[in-house]
Amino acid sequence: MDDPNALKQRIKELMVENLMLQTTTAEIGDELPLFGPGGLGLDSVDALQLVVALDKNFGLKIRDPEVAREILRNVNTIAQAVQQKMAA
Amino acid sequence: MSERVILVTGANGGLGRAIAQAFLEEMPDNLVWLGVRNSRDSAETLAGQFSGRCFITDLDVTRPDSWQSAVDTILARHQRVDVLINNAGKHSDSLLGTMSQKAWDEVLQTNLTAAFHGCQAVLPAMISQRGGRIINISSLSALLAPAGQTNYAAAKAGLVALTQSLAKEVARINITVNAVCPGFIDTESLAAMPPQQRQAAQAKIPMRRFGRPEEIAAAVRFLACSQASYITGSILKVDGGIF
Repeated sequence: MDDPNALKQRIKELMVENLMLQTTTAEIGDELPLFGPGGLGLDSVDALQLVVALDKNFGLKIRDPEVAREILRNVNTIAQAVQQKMAA
Repeated sequence: MSERVILVTGANGGLGRAIAQAFLEEMPDNLVWLGVRNSRDSAETLAGQFSGRCFITDLDVTRPDSWQSAVDTILARHQRVDVLINNAGKHSDSLLGTMSQKAWDEVLQTNLTAAFHGCQAVLPAMISQRGGRIINISSLSALLAPAGQTNYAAAKAGLVALTQSLAKEVARINITVNAVCPGFIDTESLAAMPPQQRQAAQAKIPMRRFGRPEEIAAAVRFLACSQASYITGSILKVDGGIF
């Protein structure tokens, strides 16, 4: 997936599908914080599901909780991690 | 209901074998994997009896890499794992004052830490499937904490707590986590008990008899069935009425 916008759209679709969010992909901004107040409001169980979905769909393995915190900040940070994985 | 893939650990023992057999006899769509470490004669007999539906995998439950390898093997073949039964366990009874560090560590590793590794190994698949059943075989010792079993009772009580805590974590993903606490069950360890001790144990049971492995298997099978879909974090005693 070379097109960064297509990748971000796919990540948003994965989030809506796997986390059963009551929101649309259009409502998820690229910089919208995924956790905490003023963000998408995900919790640690959502994070676990997201880690599994990213592994299954992109082969991106996130095992370290500290690394997960950095990668799962927003759609942009996830997309960067996926692109790095694909380039490696 | 379509095909279900079930992994039973400690499957060469009397209880594990009875649990595996109960699933195999329940319906032809059940595919059962027997996790075994050293002894495997009984598991091989069962796999031969249900050829094509019952498989054996090497599994040292105390090692995370062994778990990963077993689960990878299952996923490569079926692309799913629906039910995990953490049944492997061991005793090494003595009074705490004379208990070796080895006896403590081994019992904690086999009865408690192994279940942690097992749950971690199957959770990604169950999360992807958006469903699964985990059944931990604890013990009445977790609730009664008998003298001479500080290691075993602590491990099995820990398993109860693990069950309830994990149940809360994964409930919304449609994964249920429950524990069964067998009382005195007529398996190899009970058979090894001296006759006088057996009689004394039997006298403590309101039903005045030991349980049969099939009676534990029936409880496990129930917790894994579709009718038990709203049961999670439960601790089911199967002990002839001891409390």
